[in-house]
Amino acid sequence: MELISLKNVSVNSKLLLLKELGYGSDGEFVLSANGEKAIDKYAEIPVRVNNMVILPGSTVILDNNEFSIASYLEEFGEDALG
Amino acid sequence: MPLDNPVSDITEGVTKGFLDWSIDKITSFLQKLENREIAFIEEQKTIDIVKEQYLSGESKFYGKYIKDKKFLFLARLGLALRKVEGDKERRGNLRDKIFKKYSVEGLHIAEFVENGILNRYVGILIEGLISIEKLEKDIEDILKNIEKYTLFVQWTSNKAEIVKRADIKVNSNSPKIFIVSGFKLAAQLVRDCTESFIIMLNDYELERFSTGDKEILFFKRKAL
Repeated sequence: MELISLKNVSVNSKLLLLKELGYGSDGEFVLSANGEKAIDKYAEIPVRVNNMVILPGSTVILDNNEFSIASYLEEFGEDALG
Repeated sequence: MPLDNPVSDITEGVTKGFLDWSIDKITSFLQKLENREIAFIEEQKTIDIVKEQYLSGESKFYGKYIKDKKFLFLARLGLALRKVEGDKERRGNLRDKIFKKYSVEGLHIAEFVENGILNRYVGILIEGLISIEKLEKDIEDILKNIEKYTLFVQWTSNKAEIVKRADIKVNSNSPKIFIVSGFKLAAQLVRDCTESFIIMLNDYELERFSTGDKEILFFKRKAL
């Protein structure tokens, strides 16, 4: 699996990517379709646009931290990230 | 949707020097995302840290002998904690998340692995190994009863309190192996208590693991 770094991607491109995925943003946080802050389902915290991870598997948007990534691997298998 | 009205701080000036993706590029990315060919991440180091721990020999070992999924996950998080040991912010962040989800007991399991206690404990078990099934059972037993069989010394404790707590744990639970651990400032406290432990636990023999900032005592019941 190829990992695309979001570090040097413009904010507008990130917002466009989120929009195409059915999400939005208030400029700081990722918003779900209903306008509420999208929550990292593992760490149970709101996801910031400048610290997000977008992973395959019904499109999982998470906060970029070791706990959430490890939780994702637990759910989708050790090989889920190639 | 707020996307239609990006907030004022998202200006061209802010994005200058950053990559701009066209809608075609993004559509192509989405197709690849759906096919599980790509993922997007702010900082690749996070995935690298986690993947490295999952692929490590120690993780594979635990994967083989720890059957309980929660315990195995906490063990792997412990390996991740070890990996980020020198990064105070990253380590603190991970510890907080483990604590929030799994409380102090879960954090202790992760720290048990982080500080190399579990792998040394397994070493002691292997010395008297009867069967693989027994090894698996004993590993699960220590993780399940970590608060009963282990004393995690805090730097804020005092010597009398530490010795008393150890006495209560040993007398209440009669562990085959009783562990006392202290890290950083607490390591010296453990060292200061060691003689008292030896006198108190006279039917146990001591195996000591000591480095500059870690002091781990394994008291093995002599009947073992």
